[in-house]
Amino acid sequence: MMTASRLHPQLVLLMELQDLRSQHRELGEEEAVREVEETHFQIDLEKARIELAEKIEELEAALDSSARRRYEQIRPHRDRVVVPVINGVCYGCFVSIPTATVGDEGAREELRGCENCGRFIYILS
Amino acid sequence: MELRELFTVDAVKLELEADSKDDILKELIELLGLDEKSDTILFKTLKRRENLGSTGIGKGIAIPHCRSLVVNKLCLAYGRKPGGTDFSSIDDAPVHHFFLIVAPPLEVSNQYLPILGKIAQFAKDPEIPGRLESISEPEEFLDLLKEKSTR
Ligand SMILES: [Zn+2]
Repeated sequence: MMTASRLHPQLVLLMELQDLRSQHRELGEEEAVREVEETHFQIDLEKARIELAEKIEELEAALDSSARRRYEQIRPHRDRVVVPVINGVCYGCFVSIPTATVGDEGAREELRGCENCGRFIYILS
Repeated sequence: MELRELFTVDAVKLELEADSKDDILKELIELLGLDEKSDTILFKTLKRRENLGSTGIGKGIAIPHCRSLVVNKLCLAYGRKPGGTDFSSIDDAPVHHFFLIVAPPLEVSNQYLPILGKIAQFAKDPEIPGRLESISEPEEFLDLLKEKSTR
């Protein structure tokens, strides 16, 4: 479970955005996903990709300027812009995060990133 | 991994109360026992998947599914709606049986797609809707999964 009450509002938006990006990437690149969605669920893959891309743009535009600046710095280099920290390890780069960064104090006020890979992080236990 | 091992009785609800598509999704999400913010994010992600095309695959069965950052392992739930409800299904028929599947974006064991396929296969068994109707305790649902997976 997440320590939810402490989620930064911009982080919530970033997580929604990342979920959409996962969907968009899978429907485009993962053959197994494309097959399941097409055969069992009769999805029009290309139409779905376009709809998702539009939604992604919409959410990107809703980010505040500081979050968007960081998001745009990370995005060109990383598939995943937001990643969980599980048992003190960043699930983007798999490097341990110092407990001072992981600690909950001030989490709501600031949008935190992994010091090693720069991705936005949230705690998942 | 067998389907039976991925469900718990807490994630089985035989009398869904909601009447609309959105509320059914929310009620299914509640079965996973996440926190409130996670529920909200997950609802939006599932809803966006539904907007691409209903996960109602016909014959009274729907399989809402997505990957989401809010879970750290594969999570499944089953809900039954006596009388059924409109879920914009492929065959336009009301949906009585809902299988929710949520996976993290990165899974070491890569279970998401095989499990999604297994549930879809399970649901296509012509015997299944009738058997699901006759269940009176969550344990019987788990027994049915076990019975069907050993064949
Ligand atoms: Zn990292």
